[in-house]
Amino acid sequence: MRTKSVYKIPKGKILKISLDYNEKTNIINDLNISGDFFAYPEESIELIENELKNTVMENDIIFKKIESIVNNYKIQFIGLDLEGITKGIMMCKK
Amino acid sequence: MMDKWRLLQTGYLSAYTNMAIDRAVMLSHSKNSVPPTVRFYGWKPSAISIGYFQSLKDEVELDACNKLNIDYVRRITGGGAVFHENELTYSIVISESHPSIPKNILESYGRICGAIIKGLNNLGIESNYSPINDIISNGKKISGNAQTRKIKTVLQHGTVLTDVNVEKMFSVLKVPTEKIKDKLISNVKERVTSIKHILGEEPTFNEIAYSMKKGFEEEFNISLVDGELTKEEIELTKKFENECFSTYDWNHRK
Repeated sequence: MRTKSVYKIPKGKILKISLDYNEKTNIINDLNISGDFFAYPEESIELIENELKNTVMENDIIFKKIESIVNNYKIQFIGLDLEGITKGIMMCKK
Repeated sequence: MMDKWRLLQTGYLSAYTNMAIDRAVMLSHSKNSVPPTVRFYGWKPSAISIGYFQSLKDEVELDACNKLNIDYVRRITGGGAVFHENELTYSIVISESHPSIPKNILESYGRICGAIIKGLNNLGIESNYSPINDIISNGKKISGNAQTRKIKTVLQHGTVLTDVNVEKMFSVLKVPTEKIKDKLISNVKERVTSIKHILGEEPTFNEIAYSMKKGFEEEFNISLVDGELTKEEIELTKKFENECFSTYDWNHRK
């Protein structure tokens, strides 16, 4: 199932998520993160998109996975945060 | 002795060339081939640049752009979609380790925006930095800025609005629904200002560029010396223009 969400990060920027997931297993097949935020290095968003494929769409699982990527690769966000990405993704769950 | 940085005034160029030059200078500076560089430029034809993470089809009315001969290009910096028409655009390329550039990214936005604020002040316009990436005058946005850091080098580019045509802007930028288009237009008119709006007249591009040059010199306590792109930078510009910024794959990658 392909779904989309648009979420304004509190005191931040607009985050748009487009994702495809399996309704039966709740597993993410494909994910696209876009918006007018800043991320350093820029390639980190693609990394997060790839790492979240085949992940179960559950708040804590998604948050911890992104948190671990951010810490491992020393990613800095401006106008975006871990909570926001997690929320944007979970908003896609119907 | 006062440090000498390079000043490039490349005039009005296409969106692809402008973005390619910024990237070429960044690469060239990272190899220590050129000094820290400030560039002033304009866009011909008018153009939309979108942020690195934005979706082109979500943000831009492509048919309207084609009809109105307006270019569109994806930047290597994040941030939002910008309609470049009546403005002076600047870019600065400098090493991440330069003592004038704060390590903290947000602080470095503020520092570089300080040059633009001083430049506006030289034109008689009071303004201040409004995090994350705006400069405002009397509460209204007059400049938007975007920064990337790669290869141990900072590139920040931004706009200084000389005039605004909000109706035209929203004919080429996507709005969520036609229903709220009028409301968006009036909102933006209330939130955005320009040099012309504040001063009642529009100084020439060169007058604005001169004020901004002084602004950079005052903020960083340096001397900006007129320069040209090197042979290497011209070659790199052609390469980035052809292999990246003008390509469908780059511009439609999201």
